[in-house]
Amino acid sequence: MSAIQSDRREQGVERLDGPFPAPKGRRRGVTVQGNYIPYVLILPAVVTLIGVLGYPLVRVIMLAFQNVNSYLRLAVPSLDKWIGFQGFGRVLSDSQFWSVVERSFLFTVEVVTISIALGLGFALVLNRVSPWAKIFVSTVMMFVWAVPALVTGTVFRWLFAGIGGVVDYIFYLFGGSGMRNHDWFANANEGLYVVVAIAVVWGALPFLVLGLNAAMTQVPRELVEAAKVDGANPAQQFRHVILPIIRPFLLLCTSLSFIWDFQVFAQIWALRQNSPEPGYWTVGVYLYEEGFTSSHYSTSSVISIAMILLMLVVLIAYIRQVVKIGGQG
Amino acid sequence: MAGFTPARPMPDRLPAAGQTKLHARGTRPGEKRAMTALWNTIAVAFGLVMAFPIYWMILTTVKSNHDLLAQDPTFWPTHFDLSSYRTVFSDPDFLNSMRSTAIITIGSVIAGLVVGFLAAVAVARFRFRGRNPFIVAILVVQMVPLLTIAIPLFIVLNKAGLYDQYLGVILAYLVFTIPYVVWTLRSFIVNIPVELDEAAMVDGCTRWGAFFRIILPLSMPGLVTTGVYAWIQAWNEFVLANTLLSSNGKRTSMVWLSFYSASPTHGADYGSQMAGALLVSLPVIILFVIFQRRVASGLTAGAVKG
Repeated sequence: MSAIQSDRREQGVERLDGPFPAPKGRRRGVTVQGNYIPYVLILPAVVTLIGVLGYPLVRVIMLAFQNVNSYLRLAVPSLDKWIGFQGFGRVLSDSQFWSVVERSFLFTVEVVTISIALGLGFALVLNRVSPWAKIFVSTVMMFVWAVPALVTGTVFRWLFAGIGGVVDYIFYLFGGSGMRNHDWFANANEGLYVVVAIAVVWGALPFLVLGLNAAMTQVPRELVEAAKVDGANPAQQFRHVILPIIRPFLLLCTSLSFIWDFQVFAQIWALRQNSPEPGYWTVGVYLYEEGFTSSHYSTSSVISIAMILLMLVVLIAYIRQVVKIGGQG
Repeated sequence: MAGFTPARPMPDRLPAAGQTKLHARGTRPGEKRAMTALWNTIAVAFGLVMAFPIYWMILTTVKSNHDLLAQDPTFWPTHFDLSSYRTVFSDPDFLNSMRSTAIITIGSVIAGLVVGFLAAVAVARFRFRGRNPFIVAILVVQMVPLLTIAIPLFIVLNKAGLYDQYLGVILAYLVFTIPYVVWTLRSFIVNIPVELDEAAMVDGCTRWGAFFRIILPLSMPGLVTTGVYAWIQAWNEFVLANTLLSSNGKRTSMVWLSFYSASPTHGADYGSQMAGALLVSLPVIILFVIFQRRVASGLTAGAVKG
């Protein structure tokens, strides 16, 4: 499965004409002839990705240094002007941008922390339950996993609806009479950090619980038993036996969650019926509103670049982790 | 994880495990059973809470409008009323949007599988200059937020006359299908013994013949798994579909749902919104149920097994 292993196998291909006593020169000729094959194979992928990703990314950078802030400018390119870092200056001096960034980070940290904690906790629980309970939970997880993000937003808008919403009713049943017809979305902070956060955590849990549980099944039972014999309590068993083994996957999950949650869009979009109020604007929603609702293509491109830069540390950590795990035996 | 071989629960190990249990202090059988019952209860409660939003979505679709407007919602259906489904199907754009989604999804999955398979063979079977940069590039590409390229894609496709065209969206979706297919199929193909290629070539097969006669059929399970996952991603995609399509008849079902549930006529009609939400997710839910084991292992395989 690893790069190292595949290298060994490729050498196997090179040795292919071993049984045939071919003259050295000819053999080298064959490999030289065959050298073009991998490049032909990756060519379609490379061309497509340059077309649909590479060029658009170049356009983002170009747009960020231009003044294409209306549909007219887009339609009549002769009006475009290069304005250097002016666009960046305007965005970075805008207090709304900084409040959006702050909101995105707070939201991401909240959601990542909660979902990783719950994911780890229930992955551990799944390790200790009877088989039927594990099958029940896994089945529920598969269904939740299958629900599209946009549908999640739509469903949670109904669950938390002020009129006829079941969450208000459950609160009311448990004695919170003031919660009847409570509007969860009137206060954007409550709407974002409670309702949107719950919706995102709900959607993220299946991957985390099932993935972390799968990672935990790789922990040899003998090791846990040995720790128990040596008198380790459950917390110590987790800290010193299970955690070191699942750490690579846990780091991966955490960085992936960060990357996904930082760009949250569809859930907020559906929860606010396609027009999120400024209090709900995370970076993703903000750049969409600027780009498509207001046709500020250049401003939106500046925000896009800022978004990638803000995620860069986690992105690099994630890719390094994947390469590291991929390179192991 | 390199240090030891992963332990599998082997039957001949069980007596040994039983022995060590005797040594462990404070775990009498009765106490252990009580703990298991406790964990089971917690797990079931967790499962029920997680399942509740889906249950509520389905329940809402079979309630009558009268029930939905009632002050106290009921937790089970009193009588089945399918008028919500009738409302959804009477919307002419609904079936159109399902058809659009199917065309776009099938197109991008097939294109992604073909292009991705070829690149995966190259990465798994050859060592060539530029291989490692290519692998890293594939990983990096997967991580670019789709939101950041929505605007330039809109501009580029607009100029190419592909804005509001299925082909444009299919091409755009290759951004995420190709990297995923290459990355996942690579590990499948590496596991196909290279000796099989060699044997075929000794028997007179060309190298290209070996790709299509040996590697392609043997990587079918991998192709199915990656195809299913690419299907799910493409079916659920919202941002690009929302920006690259504009005419009513061409919108994908996710975009249809977002417009439908924000429209003045249906904005407060949660019965039909939930019916629509359920119907647009059904193709994905069915696929998940059929391929659940494969999809789950496919998604976590890359990370756990490397």
